[in-house]
Amino acid sequence: MNKKIFFLVCLFSIIIFSCKKDVSYGVDAINTMPPNAQKTKLKSNEQYISILYANLFQKALSANELVEITHCIEAFGDKETIHEVIVSNFMNKPDVIIPSDSIMRADIDIFLTNIYTRFYVRDITEAEKEYLTKFIEVNPAFTAEMLYTAFALSDEYQYY
Amino acid sequence: MKRRKFITNVVKASTASIVMPYILPTGRLFAAAGSQMADHVVFVLFAGGMRQQETILQRYLDDSQGVNFPGNIMYNLFNGAAPTDKIVYGTDGAVPGLGDVPIPKILSQTFQQQGTIFKEMRSATTGHYGGLNGLLQGNTLSSQGLKRKPINPTIFEYVRKHLNLKATDTWFIGNGIMNSVPLLNYSLNEDYGVKYGANFIAPNVVFGNDGQKHLSNAKVYDQVDELEPMYKTKEFLDNVWGTVGSGLVTIDNTEQEKYDIKEFLKYMYANPSAVDMPAVSDNGDATTIGYALEIMKWFKPKLSVVNLNNVDVCHSNFTSYLRAVHRADHSLAHLWDKIQSIPSMAGNTIMIAIPECGRNLDSNAIHDFNDFYAFDHSDQNARRIFGMMVGKNVPANNLVGSENNPIGNATDGVLTIADIFGIKGQIPTQYLAANSMSMFDNL
Repeated sequence: MNKKIFFLVCLFSIIIFSCKKDVSYGVDAINTMPPNAQKTKLKSNEQYISILYANLFQKALSANELVEITHCIEAFGDKETIHEVIVSNFMNKPDVIIPSDSIMRADIDIFLTNIYTRFYVRDITEAEKEYLTKFIEVNPAFTAEMLYTAFALSDEYQYY
Repeated sequence: MKRRKFITNVVKASTASIVMPYILPTGRLFAAAGSQMADHVVFVLFAGGMRQQETILQRYLDDSQGVNFPGNIMYNLFNGAAPTDKIVYGTDGAVPGLGDVPIPKILSQTFQQQGTIFKEMRSATTGHYGGLNGLLQGNTLSSQGLKRKPINPTIFEYVRKHLNLKATDTWFIGNGIMNSVPLLNYSLNEDYGVKYGANFIAPNVVFGNDGQKHLSNAKVYDQVDELEPMYKTKEFLDNVWGTVGSGLVTIDNTEQEKYDIKEFLKYMYANPSAVDMPAVSDNGDATTIGYALEIMKWFKPKLSVVNLNNVDVCHSNFTSYLRAVHRADHSLAHLWDKIQSIPSMAGNTIMIAIPECGRNLDSNAIHDFNDFYAFDHSDQNARRIFGMMVGKNVPANNLVGSENNPIGNATDGVLTIADIFGIKGQIPTQYLAANSMSMFDNL
């Protein structure tokens, strides 16, 4: 009886502690989460406006104007529409800083990399680069301003 | 015999096809809806705490300042003679700041003559936000927190869901953004919620100084050459984001509705003098009414809810309160008068006005430049309110209840509107106050 128990213990030990086949082949495990997955918090109206202003004008929005624009957002139920109106007003200001279309088309790769860093604070993925590069190439009337507007109004830009 | 059986079967089949429940586009199975009393409803949340004594009881200074000067300062709403002395509620005559010129009456017949007045109702609470929630949710939830969206569905959600309305068919027009008013356009209820919410606008902000400065100079993009590729790019970006997160929680206007709203904003900024303001529009309530009329002209909403609150100045200034009450009456009359010239709404609208709360019986310690004492709202007198209905299918010259016989509650507004639209039977009763009922059932 004791022999049997001893035999079983040995058998389980061999199974448990036996060598395992290395399936990693020397490749380090990597995080396969999408690059934007860590953004879980919705920006407040104040955060959205001050970050947007900084991205478009490359300077800080005054405290007074921040309060005024925040009031405009609070005074409107459809947030998407009012954001669009605000961005559209920003685009009409003389001091908005948007690269020219020729700069965008001179090196689309770099332009896209920069816009992802500026608006999304992350690297562009290959899939995104592929799609947007083609989109810009086949739409000669598509401007940098239109691309900036699309980013400013996009859902990902509402989160951090 | 066969012929008789055939006829019987035909009658049965016809009856069944008429009364059989049908599926609405909302995807839910409902029994046939009742008939609509009117195609449009305007619900005025009126107007920041109105004391019964100075409004429907027409006691002017009699029951507040200890001086014997009674009179009716809401002579568009109620029958009754205006005060003859100590006039401070009007506009300024020769002496600035005196307010000694009453605003001329607008309506040839008072609302009391044209419609039904509930002389003595009860508000949901003695506070503003609870009162507004009571008017819009039909409930007096003690668990409803301040600075929190309504817990139970609002009337906006009921009418949008059960009448299958688009977002621009329902508008909530606030006279400002304070006191959590922007939160009231939809509830947190899972069965209703944002997808059935109303468009909210505080026009005094959107078309006031802040809006003029930051919203009025929008760039005009070409619909096809510029907007379409822009939206297509946004759609791509949103699709990528959609794998990990959600978009903004907001009113679900369709692209066409959004375009329409932007066109409306453009029109308003381009034509500021075209706004149909009341003759006296020197306060926020009056201007809100003017902008509300423009929204009604543009969108022809099925349900418009207008929130006024200038009367609340009564916490610290009784003279200003009297002026705000007088202007609220003037503005309400202007609204009703002008609705009669809006195509599709004229003769086909019911307007309801109910204060969210009343005001205290006794004054506080603050007195103004006329030495009039001010009033807060926290006692039983602050639960005393009146109600008014006017328009298509509303009985005229009808007084309901009295000081000694209160009839109706502020929470009745929800079922009343549902009743007007023929969906009263579809409102889940568990969300309503136990004593909530249509004002039409109280006539």
